[in-house]
Amino acid sequence: MRSLFAVVMLSGVFSLLSALLFVTLDAVDVAFTEAAVGAGISTVLILGTLALTSRYERPSKRSNTIPLLVTFVTGAALFYGTLDMPNLGDPNAPAQTHVAPGYLLQSPHEIDVPNVVTAVLASYRGYDTLGETAVVFTAAVGVLLLLSGLSRRRRRKPKGDT
Amino acid sequence: MRHHLILRVITKLLVGPIMLFALYVQFHGDYSPGGGFQAGVIMAVAFIIYGVVFSLDHVQRVLPPWLAHKLSALGVLIYAGTGVYSLLTGYAYLDYAALSPDHPVHGQHYGILLVELGVGVTVTGVMVTIYYAFTSRTPIMSDEAW
Amino acid sequence: MMDTIVNIVSWILIVSGSFFAIVGAVGTLRFPDFWSRLHAASISDSAGVILLLVGMMLQAGPGLIAVKLLIILAFLFITGPTSTHAVANAAFVSGLRPRQLPSAKTGTNSDIDPDTKPDTKPDTGADPALDSENQPTKGDAS
Repeated sequence: MRSLFAVVMLSGVFSLLSALLFVTLDAVDVAFTEAAVGAGISTVLILGTLALTSRYERPSKRSNTIPLLVTFVTGAALFYGTLDMPNLGDPNAPAQTHVAPGYLLQSPHEIDVPNVVTAVLASYRGYDTLGETAVVFTAAVGVLLLLSGLSRRRRRKPKGDT
Repeated sequence: MRHHLILRVITKLLVGPIMLFALYVQFHGDYSPGGGFQAGVIMAVAFIIYGVVFSLDHVQRVLPPWLAHKLSALGVLIYAGTGVYSLLTGYAYLDYAALSPDHPVHGQHYGILLVELGVGVTVTGVMVTIYYAFTSRTPIMSDEAW
Repeated sequence: MMDTIVNIVSWILIVSGSFFAIVGAVGTLRFPDFWSRLHAASISDSAGVILLLVGMMLQAGPGLIAVKLLIILAFLFITGPTSTHAVANAAFVSGLRPRQLPSAKTGTNSDIDPDTKPDTKPDTGADPALDSENQPTKGDAS
């Protein structure tokens, strides 16, 4: 798979599939984000990057053994980790017993919005979301500092009928 | 570019509904899945699809780069400003009860709307800014180059 | 009684829609060249989506959900053929031509070899057959 274009498209497909996975886990908000960002915007952005560079990966001289080994060991460790995880929807799982019942019980009285995810995100965890917004803003500043300002748009010699 | 007539017509048809859907996700986030982040991304997608199908110059006539930069800063300002307002009126930082002292629950609603608006504006600005930054360095490609 | 009829009709629609989707997927994998694969992917997909969504609307009954499904249906009805057109257009512009029967061969396209495309980048050095193989992936993603 040397064609990077196909790799980009496959990663978009992967994002869509993981969005479906999130839907199955009832995390609709996350699935929404994944579908919009992962499959939509990042595909376009990577395609834009691809237009700046080459469409094909240069064949590498190094052997693939060590990366394959690292991937295998990491995957095995992750699989081993899933053995200790509580079952899906287990009411005694740590995620269900810590703060989640508090949020679910209190939010109808304190905030009264039907979508508890929004209530947690914007109200109970307002500081965190402010931090996230600042992070997103910082990303834009970084990209601007790195990419723009120095170069004007380079125009390729017009070919043919465009 | 003369091959892309259908694509252009359909894009013109779709950009409006996409923006409408973004606004729906933005302001209906209290009741259904979605919120500021998703809405911002969808709103940015409307601009990006316009830029992809038409050209960067066209979309920059609608949303100039300086406006996108200002928007991404404005969103953080709205968010943090909500907190500063509640601070000034004698509540804790980002305590939305300050927005409606008689009705703390209503204050929560207003606060969530304002904060989500801030997130949405920032995300729209940032995504469009990154898209501009990447695309404005790309040389204009003829159809045959792909 | 009415419920049963609606249920039966909607399940017939949903099952036949799934059938079309599966047939489209099999065709996308099995057909020999790009254009027939695109045909399989697009047309059976549209049919499957329409049948599935109408079946789901019948399941949901009149209400907000049915309206939302109708909007999704209209959206897919517009975007599906458009994306297919875009993929086919891109393939045609980059020089991929439908395979022609020897008797039907006219002089217009015969000078273009169907497997090569004008490659303006000299440094890529990849074989074009790889490229034409990858184009159905594009059709799936869009």
